Amino acid sequence: MENIEIPATTRTPAVAFDFHNNHLKISGESYPEDVTSFYSSLLEALDRYLDGRTSGTCRFDFELIYFNSSSAKAIMMLMEKLDEAAGAGMKVDVHWFYDPQDETMHELGEEFGEDLQHAAFHLENLSR
Amino acid sequence: MLANELYGLRKDLRERGIVFAYSGYVTENVLSGVGDALKKKLAIEDADTKTIRSVFAVFVEQMQNIIRYSVEQIPPFDMPPTADHPAELRYGILTIGQEGADYVVHAGNLVMTSDVPRMRERLSAIQAMNREQLKSAYKEQLRSGPDEHSKGAGIGFIEIARRASSPIEFDFMDIDGKLAFFALKAKI
Repeated sequence: MENIEIPATTRTPAVAFDFHNNHLKISGESYPEDVTSFYSSLLEALDRYLDGRTSGTCRFDFELIYFNSSSAKAIMMLMEKLDEAAGAGMKVDVHWFYDPQDETMHELGEEFGEDLQHAAFHLENLSR
Repeated sequence: MLANELYGLRKDLRERGIVFAYSGYVTENVLSGVGDALKKKLAIEDADTKTIRSVFAVFVEQMQNIIRYSVEQIPPFDMPPTADHPAELRYGILTIGQEGADYVVHAGNLVMTSDVPRMRERLSAIQAMNREQLKSAYKEQLRSGPDEHSKGAGIGFIEIARRASSPIEFDFMDIDGKLAFFALKAKI
């Protein structure tokens, strides 16, 4: 399927879904005017990509500087889909990069990571 | 006279430590524009990264609360917005300033008096939570999804409380029996 490349804006993160190399990434800030319209196409694309997969690998990088509370729901939904795919047999690695100067993003990473049952979770310092 | 009056208003705000003040109809573009100026101002002041992000995060949630929940709106609240005629504009007030070493974000808007008990209960609960409790409340709210009535209200308040350096403060003032003014204060 077609890769997705969306440049960052002030309020939306950059999206780089490289489906051919099984490497997906969102980075930047997320406080969209309309959270649903921004994330729904990404969630649908992820569904199509993961649909029926029981093997293979996938890496998803969250490199977020800041996200608002309405984006948090969308982020959780992305994680849930990845975790389901891992439960079905895919090898999924979720990397959460945080700015060491902002402990809230570190905490949020831990909190989202705790919910993953099947996917491997890696909490990483952004400055390294 | 003209200059005197306007300078008086400005002076009053400055004496209260207020650096940014917005009172009026709020749109997402107002949020973007004021947010951009706020970020620049904080960067110039050389605030540390965590403070900049926290002040900004509180500002975003407060602005979005006004945009979503203020009942002072066009079209008026007694003409409920429909899919064809969504509420276009919501009125509120937001200020950002300093109290000693702390940054302070205040926001206020009109709410229905009938919603006050529910809001008071929710905000009192959040106010009394420690950091660990706020963390689990945030996650719980994410999992449960927005309930119909509040359109997700709650997680915004939790986010504000998490980012604040001391417990949030809130107050309600009756306007005319039907409407009340809601004020929220967060220190970072």
